[in-house]
Amino acid sequence: MKKVLITVLSVFALTAQADFLGDSHNWNKGSSDPFKSAIAAAETGYKANLAVNMAWRDTGKMIKEAKKLQASGKTAAAVALANKAHTQTVNATAQTPLAAIAGPLF
Amino acid sequence: MKKLITAVVSLGLMVGATSAIADMESDRKAFVGHFKSVLPNVEFADFTNGVYAVDEGSREQFEEILDGIPPYEEALEKGADEFLKFGLNKCASLADPAAARIKHPYFDEASQQVVTLEGAIKKCYNQQTGKKLGSSKGKIARISAWISDQAAGEKINVIVESAGAKAAYAKGKATFYAKRGQFNMSCADCHVYNAGKKARADILSPALGHTTHVPMYRAKWAGLGTLHRRYGGCYKNMRAKPLKSQTETYRNMEFFHQAMSNGLEITDARYRK
Repeated sequence: MKKVLITVLSVFALTAQADFLGDSHNWNKGSSDPFKSAIAAAETGYKANLAVNMAWRDTGKMIKEAKKLQASGKTAAAVALANKAHTQTVNATAQTPLAAIAGPLF
Repeated sequence: MKKLITAVVSLGLMVGATSAIADMESDRKAFVGHFKSVLPNVEFADFTNGVYAVDEGSREQFEEILDGIPPYEEALEKGADEFLKFGLNKCASLADPAAARIKHPYFDEASQQVVTLEGAIKKCYNQQTGKKLGSSKGKIARISAWISDQAAGEKINVIVESAGAKAAYAKGKATFYAKRGQFNMSCADCHVYNAGKKARADILSPALGHTTHVPMYRAKWAGLGTLHRRYGGCYKNMRAKPLKSQTETYRNMEFFHQAMSNGLEITDARYRK
């Protein structure tokens, strides 16, 4: 039970923390290939959002665009966009548990 | 500590479960009551006219369009021809078109799924022709609109009885009220809490009565479209990724959405802006 509680609280803390980070935040500090890890994070999050029908409209396009930018050598812009896409997936994830129990306000 | 956590989690689950398996009829009464309080001048029966029941200016335009030849008239004639041409009258589920419109959506106990009118049309079309039919516009919208016309004047009567039906209804209800997309908005944010108010130049239509005139002709589309096509459009507007028409999530939402309009007449006045 303790382990479950710690895991749940950790996931919540990480999600909440991610929520407060701006688009300019570098998610890939310490990675040798910032684009690779940024795009991997965005793709993983997007996949999870799609699985529960809670993906945002533009995330997929942003991921594609980020890949194009990277291919054309614009790494900084590609990383920034991949991070932005990842932020979208974090926010979509935060909407998910509330969506399952949503109801009227009256 | 362990006991406290267990108690809190259990209580949370119980509250969630109770609200999910809420009684459809009490939900509907509360839903209708809400619209009576926010739009007190609109008669219950007039909610079939959507935004035209709310705004006098738009109503005049709407009536002028209906007085002439509505832009969907030709599509409906085509839908009638297609219904026979593709042998849809040979399927038991559609043999009596008026009854088919009234029966759908319903919860099928065998498959434990909500079956929509468009779902039944697609299935029958496939059985008769061996081909697949789209889900959002064109042929399916024309055929479905023609079928719906045959039930004009009949009342919507969605039945939610079994445990499976209640679960599907609860899921649909949650989808309807769930905030999603970059704008963090739900269907209800516009069409329940702010119905009748303006969003930029448009007046937001009340969700009560939405399903009485589907499939609808939208001037924006310059054609007919199904309810699920409209759901997709709303998702996009909220900057959420739209789902495919006839997915389980949309079917469940239609089940809830249509149940909220129980008692309202199905109408053939399907023009919308």
